[in-house]
Order: sequence, then C-alpha cells, then structure tokens
Amino acid sequence: MPKQSHSKIPTPQPGETFHWNRYFTRRQFIKGSAAVLATAAAAAGGIKTGFKENQVAYASEETSGKTVAIPTICENCVWRCGAIAYVKDGILTKLEGNPEHPNSRGKLCPRGNAGIKVLYDPDRLQFPMIRAGERGSGLWRRVSWEEALDFTAENMQRIKDEHGPEAMIMSSTHNLTQPYFENLLNAFGTPNYGTQRSLCFNAMTIAFTYTYGIAQPGVDYDNCRYIIYTGRNLAEAISNSETQKMMEFAARGGKIVVLDPRFTITASKAVEWLPVKPGTDLAFFLAVNHVIVTEELYDRDFIEKHTVGFEKLKEALQSYSPEWAAERCEIDAGTIRRIAREFASYRPAAVAHPNWRTSNFRNSFQTQRAIAILNALMGNWGKPGGLTPEGEESGPELGSLPQPPYPKVRAPRLDGVPWKYPLVPLKYGVIQEIRDALLTGKPYQGKGWLVYRQNPLMSIPERRKTLTALKNLDFLAVIDILPNDTAYYADVILPESTYLERWDPIAPAGNKLFLRQPVVEPLYDTMSGLMILKELGKRLGLEDYFPYEKEQDIIKAQIAPFNIDFDELVKKGFYEVKESEDHEMHFQTKSGKVEINSSLLESVGEPGVPVWQEPPAPPEGQFYLLTGKVAQHSQFTTQNNQWLMELTPDNPLWINAAVAKRLGIKDNQKVVVESKVGKVISRANVTEAIRPDCVFLAAGFGHLSKALTIGYGAGVSNSALHETNTDKLSGCQALSETFVTVKPLNSEEIAGGETS
Amino acid sequence: MSKRYGFVMLVYRCIDCKACQVACWAENEVPLGKTRNWITRDGYRGTFPHLSVDYLPGNCMHCDNAPCVSVCPTGASSKREDGIVAVNYKKCIGCKYCMVACPYDARYFHPEKEVADKCTMCKHRLAEGKEPACVTTCVGGARVFGDLNDPHSRVSKLLRKHRHKVLLPEQGTKPSIYYIMERPQEGGNLE
Repeated sequence: MPKQSHSKIPTPQPGETFHWNRYFTRRQFIKGSAAVLATAAAAAGGIKTGFKENQVAYASEETSGKTVAIPTICENCVWRCGAIAYVKDGILTKLEGNPEHPNSRGKLCPRGNAGIKVLYDPDRLQFPMIRAGERGSGLWRRVSWEEALDFTAENMQRIKDEHGPEAMIMSSTHNLTQPYFENLLNAFGTPNYGTQRSLCFNAMTIAFTYTYGIAQPGVDYDNCRYIIYTGRNLAEAISNSETQKMMEFAARGGKIVVLDPRFTITASKAVEWLPVKPGTDLAFFLAVNHVIVTEELYDRDFIEKHTVGFEKLKEALQSYSPEWAAERCEIDAGTIRRIAREFASYRPAAVAHPNWRTSNFRNSFQTQRAIAILNALMGNWGKPGGLTPEGEESGPELGSLPQPPYPKVRAPRLDGVPWKYPLVPLKYGVIQEIRDALLTGKPYQGKGWLVYRQNPLMSIPERRKTLTALKNLDFLAVIDILPNDTAYYADVILPESTYLERWDPIAPAGNKLFLRQPVVEPLYDTMSGLMILKELGKRLGLEDYFPYEKEQDIIKAQIAPFNIDFDELVKKGFYEVKESEDHEMHFQTKSGKVEINSSLLESVGEPGVPVWQEPPAPPEGQFYLLTGKVAQHSQFTTQNNQWLMELTPDNPLWINAAVAKRLGIKDNQKVVVESKVGKVISRANVTEAIRPDCVFLAAGFGHLSKALTIGYGAGVSNSALHETNTDKLSGCQALSETFVTVKPLNSEEIAGGETS
Repeated sequence: MSKRYGFVMLVYRCIDCKACQVACWAENEVPLGKTRNWITRDGYRGTFPHLSVDYLPGNCMHCDNAPCVSVCPTGASSKREDGIVAVNYKKCIGCKYCMVACPYDARYFHPEKEVADKCTMCKHRLAEGKEPACVTTCVGGARVFGDLNDPHSRVSKLLRKHRHKVLLPEQGTKPSIYYIMERPQEGGNLE
C-alpha cells in the first residue's frame, strides 16, 4: 500500500469548512511513490464509490511484490493512445505506449509519459465540496457524495421548474464518457450544449464534412510523397501516431512544405518553410488551385466521376492568379506556381493536409474548403498516398443499452445554432455565444451551468467577460479531477477519478476495440464520470436513461455484438474486429459526391465555392497575436503537472529580434502585452523564428485558480487578451484576429499588474 | 564477440518533445529537478526568414576513455565490457569529482542516495530484452540504440552509411553516442 502522506495539514473531515488556498498551498509536494491515500470509503455516505465495485483487474494476492502490466488508454490529450501501465503493489510506476494500439504504436509523448503525475498530483480534488463563502472566496465545506449530488440535482431541478430546462447549460470536454453526458443533457431537456469545438477546429471539420461527408480524413503517410501543412505543427501539437508517421515520411525523403508565420519545429523539418502572412493562406490555396485548374494538372477522371461543381470552381478561380495572391500572402508568385506544379506532379500521392485550425481567422473556413478541394483536384481520396476516409467516428459499430426517447426540446439554443449559425452541427455548437447570451440575457436568460471536465473560464476569449457571466449564474457545478479555474468559482464540485482509476466506455481505433480500465484503486473519495452522471440522473428522475449499475455494464453492452469474453478484454486491453472490405467510392454528402460546389452553402445564400475573404490586419504599431501549442502541454489541463512544468514552466511572448531591438526589448525582459480587451505582463522570448508583424503566446497558461499550486502564477493567459470574433459559417472563433501592442514593462505598470 | 552498446542519434528526427526525459524520470525514479538525459537546441542559425535549427538528444556518452572513471577515487565508476559506464552506489562516497570531470555535464548528485548518479543505458531493461526507456518512447524516432559490435545492428548500419560525429571530440573521451546530422534528401532516405 502507498505510504501515508507527510502533510502537516490534515485532510478536512466531512462537514468541515476549510480555506482552499491555505489547505492546498501549504501542503508539501508528494512524490508519486509516496502518494497520499485518503480514506475513500469513509465519506461515501451510502453510495458505492469504493473499489469493491471498481475492482482493479490485476490487484490480487498473487501480484503482491510483483510489477504487473495493465493495458489502458491515455487521456492527457484527445488522441486516445493505448498505454500500458506498470503497477507494483498498487502504485503506478511507469506508463508506456501500447504497441498494439494504432494511435501510440508503442510510444507515448511527454504528456502521456507524465500521466503518473496526473494521478499523484498534490492538488487533486479529493472529495466532494460545496462553497462555504462568496464565489471565488476559496471557502469550501467538505461534504458527502450524497449531499453533493442532492445539492446539484436540487439546484438543476429548481432551475428547470422555475425557468424551464433550457435555463440550464451543460458543457463537456471531448472524452469517452461524453455520450452519457449528452444523455443527461438530452434527457434533462436542455438544448444548451457547450463543447470546445468552436474554439478549436470547427472550420476544418465542417469544411471537410460539407465537401467529403467526413469531418477529419486521415493521410496515407506510407505511400505519400508530398504534404503541405498549413498552421499544422505536428512536431509540437503532437498527435502521437501521426507525428511519428510525419517524421518517418520526412526521413524517407518525402517533401514537406509548411505554411506558418512562425518557424515551428515542424517548419524546421520541412523542405520549404513559407512564412505566410497571417490570415492569407486562403489566397495561397486559391492561387494553387488556380494554377492547377488553368494548367489542367488535375485528375480529370476523378473530377468527372466523383465530384460536383467543377465548372463553378473554374469560373470562381479565374481572378486568383499567383500574382494576385503574392500581393496578399507575401509568398512569391513564382514560388506559388512552382509548388502548385510540383505538388500536382506527385498526384495522387500528394496531400494538402486538412490541418487543425490553419490560420485561425474568420476566413479559415474558406481556406479549409480550398484545401479540401485541392485534394479533390489531386484525386487522392482513398488512393495510395492520398487522403484516407478514416474519420474519428469510423470503426466497428458498438452495441448499446436500451433507453427511452428524449423529450422534445422546447426552446432555441443560446449559442445561435441553427438560428444564427445554420451550418454548425448541434453536437459542435458555438460556446463563446453561450457566454455572450448569459451577459445579454438574449434570447433568454441562462441560469445554471454544469461543466464536465472543461474550463470555459480559460478557454473562451475575453476571460473578463466569462468571469462576469459565471459570477452572474444562479448555479455553477463542476465535475473535474483538478481544482481548475472554473471550479474555483463554482458552487459545488464533484471530483472525478482520473483516467488511471476508472472505467470508461470502449474506444474503437481502426478495427480494434480498446478498453480504458483502472490501473490502481482510486486514491481518494472520487467517482467515475459514468457513475456521477448516473447518480445525477437518478436524482433528476431520469434514471431510465442510465440503465447500468456499474461502468462494466456499458462496456459489456458495447461488446455484445462481438464474440468477446469480457475478462479476456480486460486482460488484453483490446479486441480485433474483422476488417470490412467496403471500399466503395461513396460520399456522405447531399449529392453523394465530393462537393466542390456546396449546395448546402448555396442554400444559406453563400457562394458554393471558396472565395477570397479579406482578413483584418493590425494597425501600425500593433501585432498579430498568434497562439499554438507546445509538445509538453495539453490546452489548460497540464499546467499543474510537476514533470511537464519542469520541462516547460511558462509561455514567454515570442517577438521578432529586429522588432524587439527597435522597441528596446531584451530577451527575458518583462513586457506589457495589451489588446482591446485585456492586458498581461509576460516575458519576452526574443527570436528570429517569427515574422516581424506577429507575436506568439502558447496556450494553457495564466491560471486564476490559486488551488493549482504548481500552475498558478505560471505564464499568462491569451484568453485574457483574445477578442471574440466568430465566423458566421463555421462558428469558429478566430483566435488570430486579436491585435496587440507590446512595450517594455515600466514601474507604473508593475503597480497595475495583470488586469484580466 | 561481446556486445558493446551505444546510441546513434538521428538529429533530424528529433522534435524536441522531451518524451525521452519524462520516460527516463519515471523509469529510473529520477528526483525532481534532476535529469539523466536532455535535448539541447543548436540554433536558430541565420536570420528571419532564412533559418535552421537542430535538436540534439543527449545523455551520458558512456565514453571509452571516461574522465569520470579515471578520477573516481573509490572505483565506484567503471567502464563495463558491454560499453556501459556504470556507478556502483555502494562504493560511491559522493565526492563529486566525476561530476566536475565530465565535460558533458552528464551526472547529477542524487539528494537521497547521496551518490553521483547518471544514465545507465537502462541496463535493467536490457536484461529484460527491452531497449532503454528513452529509445522506446522516442516519438520522432531520433534515438537509436544497439550493439556497435554487431555489424548487422541498425546502429552499425547507420554509422557505416552516414557521416557522423561525437560531441567534444577534442576532449579525447571517445564517446559511445554518435550523432548523424544529415537531413534527408528529397526521395532519399535517412535509414
């Protein structure tokens, strides 16, 4: 058994009130091998949260003193890598990639390796708690699960009774339990669903869905010869298997072209780096398409057989010559022409990568459409070296538990889908609009918000506004594993078990079904998301929507269509399904073909083919504020991880060396960065590796929660600076359309400090 | 012939993600604030927009002519036949001579064990037929490990085919860690 904590401050007992900051900050850091073990069963109050129900598959007398290997799935980002956990006497000592899993291929990225420090994070939420002072005062009362769940459900029911179910907002991060979160949402009857999608890659997924019928196609790296990445930085925004394949592709002599205003690590591996002007990658791709169409370099057969709208494209592209584009994107016309010809010469083994967010402008949807169409011109769909139709939703069809139909929704959505955003799928939504609707009270006033392992306060632009919106709520409940920023301002916190302590529904990957299972017993008085949702559902009279007694019941239902023995699945961690031989060329679009001209776009009065949309540019003396990732962090969730923070402890402001010299800014010097909506004090990273008209801040830092003793005070938040600019077609937040001033910090600024 | 272990670093393939460091910390229970391996940045060379940069993974160079071994007053540090420079914790008195002598700064003082600790090539993993933890997890595929005495090993093949270097050759330490700096040519192959 793990050693007891050496903490001087005792864990609060049920019913005891404590001050969060004091409780958390004065504790010592505890090493993984000597983790805290709270008495999990003690405060359970009749609910079976303990491990009797959650029995770790391999813990037994036989394994005492031995290291056992338990297959499971990582959750330090959304890539869902298969992992193998090495556990000795109930203590997790190592995580490695599972060679059987196509997403990890036997390797884990730094975040995956650092999963141990998620489990043994000294600041983890250890028990349910209810606010005992003003919102954000840090005063909490430890309560039993019974009381916390009753309190949450009573408040949700009260809001439903007084204002209707739509007054309750529910939002969730992208995770395996999400379908059951959606169950609670739909059964409760609220249409107000928030996901991170509109702050992420809506532009890409919607553009590819309306072109190919698949949101996120893959790339056949093994046979590819030429790839253009646009703002996709796979070396730092690691998607494990894809990053591995990109490097294998590059080492084999495949040609990589990178469009990015920054010299990212991916750009440093490229054959050609094109430091494109922000927001103008659309011009580049319109011109590449122009060259390919006018010089007839496209796959005529594919265009004729499998696409619609080519003639309209041809007409629309006429004016987008390389010379026209060069004036806008600052890439030489000769280079554009050469790349277009070169790229086409490799077809079908040439891919314009679907990317992630490209340049993060409102016109990114048009950019993504132009990229989707460029691939169609190459006729690379399903061909060796081309795009592959392996969407995230693809894979074997799983079984499910029977449940009643959902009640009819009676109100429009607060986020404007579809009445303001007709093209945005309901499952994606436009979360920044929810925040704004809370502030305006239009079309009606939202009253409560249930947040599931998400952190709207850190993710939505204009943090100051978000904080006001959250403070104005009647009720805010948070389910999470860490005392994150949104939790800091909540009324009740329901602590979830980490991914290393709980069961989740099955995750298919390719033709394999993978299992996430607990590798150690829960360290604290926490529950799995599946059980928290069920317990809430029960209290809201929605028990029929959660027809399971324990998590395994769901998994057993999922694998029912296959001839799988549950115990064998647990032991092996996956099951391989026979691959289907269905390679028919059919597209899930309105026409059943690749829609070069989108009838859906036309139906809402928009041009059916991509057109130039002028991006805004910073006025004299201001910079584009760019954002992006570092390989050691995942959004807002990893800044309390001891190991990852040792590697990357903050997010300095990248600024071009020549510009910094002109402004009198030295490397490492404190600088004031100010946008229309906020101001932060950062530290300068003076570098050659960025365009002179841009500055860059990595995402995820600048936490407000003082309960994150490692992450609090580290770096700055770009949500504090970001203005809200939403694309009317994709609902995507244009993260690069915020312009900032940068100046060296002087004494009066120190007094002001961070204002947002 | 006996085995002689070494690393070949395919520098082009290193993406500076530092998974190798975290894997090592977990595998070898390295205390917080210390490290047995690292990645150093060489660059940026040039000025915007004509830039290049390399990332060099590193760890103890397991030198044939190891200064840490020759200065060790107790014989705690030794060069094994299989190429590993090993530290015998029982013999180490924590005098730190080796830390001063190492030109690669490969050692750290372990605050609890009170010994000068460093990379062991994960010899406990080698005994189980596994590769060192940093190699197993290397996302970019930059770290290659193997038997330099075996002409059929990947490390030997890479060294035969590509120009390579060692770090600080002027020190005369004869490291067992080789660096291939070459970038792949279009249609070529770094293998």
